[in-house]
Amino acid sequence: MHERLSFYIKRDSVIHRLNPLTKLTLVLTLILLSFFNPWYWTPHLLVLLAITPLSFVGKVGAEYFKTALRLILPAASFLFLMQAFFQPVGVDVIFKFYFLDVTRESLMFAFSNAMRVFVMVSAFTLFLLTTHPSELMSDLTRRGLPGQFSYVIISTLQILPQIQAKAQTIISAQRSRGLDTEGGFFKRAGSLVPLVGPLVLGSLVEVEERAIAIEARGFTSKSQKTSLHEIPDTGFDQALRWSLVILVIISITLKLWLS
Amino acid sequence: MAFINLQNVTYKYPLIKTPVLQDINLQIDEGEFVAVIGPNGAGKSTLCYTLAGFVPHFFKGEISGSVEVAGMESSKSTLDEWILNVGLAFQNPFNQISGAKYTVFEEIAFGLENIGTPREEIKSRVQEALKLTGILDLADRSPYSLSGGQQQRVALTSILVMQPRLLVLDEPTSQMDPIGTREVFGVIRKMAEGGMTVVMVEHKVEWIAQFADRVIALKDGSIFLEGKPHEVLTSDALAENGFGISRYTSTARQAKKQGLWKKDRLPVTLDEAVEGFALTLPSPEGRGQSR
Repeated sequence: MHERLSFYIKRDSVIHRLNPLTKLTLVLTLILLSFFNPWYWTPHLLVLLAITPLSFVGKVGAEYFKTALRLILPAASFLFLMQAFFQPVGVDVIFKFYFLDVTRESLMFAFSNAMRVFVMVSAFTLFLLTTHPSELMSDLTRRGLPGQFSYVIISTLQILPQIQAKAQTIISAQRSRGLDTEGGFFKRAGSLVPLVGPLVLGSLVEVEERAIAIEARGFTSKSQKTSLHEIPDTGFDQALRWSLVILVIISITLKLWLS
Repeated sequence: MAFINLQNVTYKYPLIKTPVLQDINLQIDEGEFVAVIGPNGAGKSTLCYTLAGFVPHFFKGEISGSVEVAGMESSKSTLDEWILNVGLAFQNPFNQISGAKYTVFEEIAFGLENIGTPREEIKSRVQEALKLTGILDLADRSPYSLSGGQQQRVALTSILVMQPRLLVLDEPTSQMDPIGTREVFGVIRKMAEGGMTVVMVEHKVEWIAQFADRVIALKDGSIFLEGKPHEVLTSDALAENGFGISRYTSTARQAKKQGLWKKDRLPVTLDEAVEGFALTLPSPEGRGQSR
């Protein structure tokens, strides 16, 4: 019941204390660097020398490795295999698999693409592990993101698990009245019908009530909103953000210049 | 002029032919604690929405007559203005949790953030409100991990913290145990004594009898009876028209026919019943031991 759709791990670290926007900038920088860079090995080095050490600086190393092994590595490996086999580039054939040629070029290409995906997902994982969703949203709202937008994100994260729990209750209720949910595919699909009705209609009614409830607390009030928590945005944060932007620009320029 | 003034109010929801409120005339003074009772479909919730400005601003539909609350007239003002003066809490606590916050403390601060209260003031007001309704120990919990009764207290607190001049409550204690109900009634009574006007839909008539200043009985969208709690709650008309009444009242009414109830007034609460029956029934010897 208490499970929330959030990866956030509450720890005290330098990364946790960074402003959410700074962390977001860092993530985007890592992703951009992995795509636009002058050296082939950049994405690999980013994972080894930036993201992995940062996960330890952020004191979420164990959680980071768990996610990397369970989620990112399988996905990246799959992408690697697909591209290695189906990328019709290169002439330097390493081996043949029936009609599929695996060339040196397609291997290189697949490897670098897989690493890019690895960088992308692992950087975001690191971000989600160290940033509380409501902190991110209130910081972005303060910078001009519409309040409705951040409400939709945060409330979805919180309410989805509640809807899951409700679906489970409805299934149990229908079962206790004799609904058979075991059996083949079509039988199982058919048994979803008595679940969907109450769940969807019930949720629609709830939406109206929730709208009234938040309206009664001034959700669409025209006054300038304030925030309970102060989210620090230090000089260091600002300096870091600008340096990252400059780094991206340098990398893109080098890439264009060298190619 | 009265703080709340409803003149000939008739209201129809969109797409529904019969009016839910019919020709309601109602005056309530500032600081009064008014309880509203009535069977299902009597229009109690619609009356709450009307006082809170959601009828007609949120639900649309056809309204006639005039609604005035705290010097504002419904037809000439926006929901935005009403919210600053009127707080609304209703029955289902789960749907009143905003979903935007991760702790009870933040949840209660939500309304104040929305109307632009300065940070330091938010903190002190939330702290105070948590203390008032006795949920200070829940401050760091997730609102979704609470029981129904606790969520109802959170919902009530998050409205109280906004310090409305009129508090509209639609069955705010429906999921609470007797101890919780007593505490909440106590808090609301205290708010009323501090000058807040309270309109509360409630089925628990024994509590109404002890705490409210006035009772309004609604039936089929009209005011059926209105007056001092004791008079309304013990009237024969109420019992004959399908209203929920106190078991002590109905017991005493039966007893009166048998000549076992000697007082003029019928009781609503247990204490009144005990006091009345003590006049006629022989007091058991050694009551302390036999129990």
